[in-house]
Amino acid sequence: MVNDGHSLSFAFGTDGMSRRVLLQRGAALGLGASALSGVLGSRAVSAQDEPVELTIWLNGEPGTVNAVTEILDEYMQEHPNVTITTTFVGSSLFNPTLVPALNAGEGPDVWMGGSGPGQPAAIIEAGHALDLTPYFCELGWGEIIPEGIVNYTSSDGKLWAVGDAVETTVMFYNKDIFAENGLEVPATWSELMTACDTLAQAGFAIPIGLGGSDKYPISWWQSMLWGRYAGPEGIDNVMFGDGRWDEEPFVQATAKLKELNDAGCFGPNPLAEIQNDIEARFWRSEIPMVHVGPWIIEPGIQALGEEISKFSVFQVPPPVDGTPIYPTEDIGTGWYINAKYEHPDVAADLLNFMFFRDESRQKLLESGSSVPVGELNLEGLELPTLVEEIFALSNQDRDNGTIHAFLDTVTPARMTDVTYDGLQALLAGQMSPEDFTAAVQASWEEAKAANEQLQPGGVTCG
Amino acid sequence: MAVQQYSQGIAGVPAGRLRIRRYVLQRYLVAYLFILPVLLLYLVFVLRPTLQTFWLAFYEWNGISIDREWVGLANFHRLFGDPIFWQALQHSLIWTAVVVTFNLVVGLIAAALLAGSIRGRLLFQLGYFLPVVQASIVTAMIWLWIYAPTGVLNTGLDTFGLEFLARGWLGDFTAVLPALAIASSWMTFGLSVVILLAGLQGIDPTLYDAARVDGAGQGRMFLDITIPSLRNTITIVILLALVDAFKVFDIIWATTEGGPIRATEVLSTYLFKEGFQKNQYGYGSAIAVALSLIILVGSVLNLTIRERGDD
Repeated sequence: MVNDGHSLSFAFGTDGMSRRVLLQRGAALGLGASALSGVLGSRAVSAQDEPVELTIWLNGEPGTVNAVTEILDEYMQEHPNVTITTTFVGSSLFNPTLVPALNAGEGPDVWMGGSGPGQPAAIIEAGHALDLTPYFCELGWGEIIPEGIVNYTSSDGKLWAVGDAVETTVMFYNKDIFAENGLEVPATWSELMTACDTLAQAGFAIPIGLGGSDKYPISWWQSMLWGRYAGPEGIDNVMFGDGRWDEEPFVQATAKLKELNDAGCFGPNPLAEIQNDIEARFWRSEIPMVHVGPWIIEPGIQALGEEISKFSVFQVPPPVDGTPIYPTEDIGTGWYINAKYEHPDVAADLLNFMFFRDESRQKLLESGSSVPVGELNLEGLELPTLVEEIFALSNQDRDNGTIHAFLDTVTPARMTDVTYDGLQALLAGQMSPEDFTAAVQASWEEAKAANEQLQPGGVTCG
Repeated sequence: MAVQQYSQGIAGVPAGRLRIRRYVLQRYLVAYLFILPVLLLYLVFVLRPTLQTFWLAFYEWNGISIDREWVGLANFHRLFGDPIFWQALQHSLIWTAVVVTFNLVVGLIAAALLAGSIRGRLLFQLGYFLPVVQASIVTAMIWLWIYAPTGVLNTGLDTFGLEFLARGWLGDFTAVLPALAIASSWMTFGLSVVILLAGLQGIDPTLYDAARVDGAGQGRMFLDITIPSLRNTITIVILLALVDAFKVFDIIWATTEGGPIRATEVLSTYLFKEGFQKNQYGYGSAIAVALSLIILVGSVLNLTIRERGDD
């Protein structure tokens, strides 16, 4: 399989033709799911007779209850002999905790983790992750997981993780605030800048929320703008070819980010803002816009209920008039099975239940927090309006190709380090776009010399 | 025969000396038995990992693979040429200076006030000590809210007409390090107050009586009686604050993760990033070794200065 860089396909729409296709695929998925459990069932029969313990590590705050934990409970109800123990670990401590645990033989049986280069690759090389290729090939996972996702969760012809979701980033905005200030959804970059100015004059200190203190939210903007200027092929040319991060498109894209900041769109001091606080203030209508992903919808619904209808989304307009919009997409996380786990078939059955069973996929989708990979059957689903709007936005420009939502997850750690510091320096006026891209390129070259960059993936069956 | 040999000594060792050794052993045996469990824990969970860290600093290792590559002094050579290491060291020194000064000065003032007869002294003591027992992550969250652009501090400054002082504290390159150092000091100075208060209460009151008779004022008594009498206590306070300051991690990581643009990068956050985030365990260990040596030197200097003062 070839990674064409923009083959993350969750193609669904609202027109009749698409719904028929989806129904057909949904039926196939349903049949497929039965077949999957049938095949796995024969392997897992002996496991079903004996008690099985399975530990899972999840990224998040202890005590979290969400669609994933509900699906795990459902699995235990259907498989009373399986006891799943879930441990939530905070994001910044997840990797530092996982590695010693795996090395000591005390690691989880299943964990969710990154899928890019760096630590995920090292964990795989150390033999901690189970080769999932047999399940992929025999159970038809390739029918559901898009090729692009497979490419990012595989290497050396083997699948190492199940990609659970596709994430994107769009601009969330407050319709009421826009209406009160006579603003329409900006269709051009200059309209976006005008909107910033109008909102600032209306008393909104922060027209577009940005948690610059956390660094990674700035990289969402960087990823989107770099992709918009270079296009999917341009990004791939650097990732897998002989392109360079300090070429003109990336410099111009960086300059555009700086332009937004210098115009005050991110407020007087974005580096003092925390992303969680920004998102909370957005839902409280204190901040009119925020560029973020659909994972904020679930907490928004929990906080606002029906009031969430006063929010909507739009794609950031083309930074250069007339250029195409490329929807951003990246894999959410990969789910790994511990190579030393005694009941791999049970673990694979669990992943199957979570991500390839129609009901589970629908539950994840309806929660608003996750968009499962692959084709989705929307028939009868009650999706949050914001989720439907995000789907519609992505579909409308999908034919242009897609770009990375989070370049920091698919580039080496040392480059991420330089990128984060550089983006803060850029917003602080301490670094020019040229210097920033040059620093990123230098770190990229160091990483390539150390063979740390992402290698093209793909799975070989049979 | 054996008894006779024993009473006469063994292998040329006089019998009297044997009796002394036996006496010493018996006397301290119980003490050693009490120390042994803690000593074992220390050896296993402190000394062994410390020595392993020292050893790991001579290797290149990603923390995951079985193979580790011996690189000798390469990690230390890299350390000396690493501008971020020197920047982190500078920040650590500034941090330590702020924390030690805060603990000593504010702690001494608070202790001196508490040493007097004031109402609600116990309440004040509890109030000062509460942050010490509070989880550091909770402290970090509290100060995150205090320092937020729309937080308590800026709101208070606006209220009192001092809006010109208000700023994005955690995004201001010059203010963020001292701001977080003060937050960290708030967390630890309660312990200094307790230690200094105990020291103050141990000073012989007749010294003050005699000074009053000689016509000495409060300031004179404080400088000539209180401070010299508290010399050992002050050494302990400085030592504890110094070690704690150099090891700081939680409050910085929970608030800025060393940012913005490494303005709050200290040695512990840097070694965490290099070791655990970039999987360069060898280099991270080298930074840890450097940090340990710096703390050791600082502690020895502190004790040496104290001892010279005694002389």
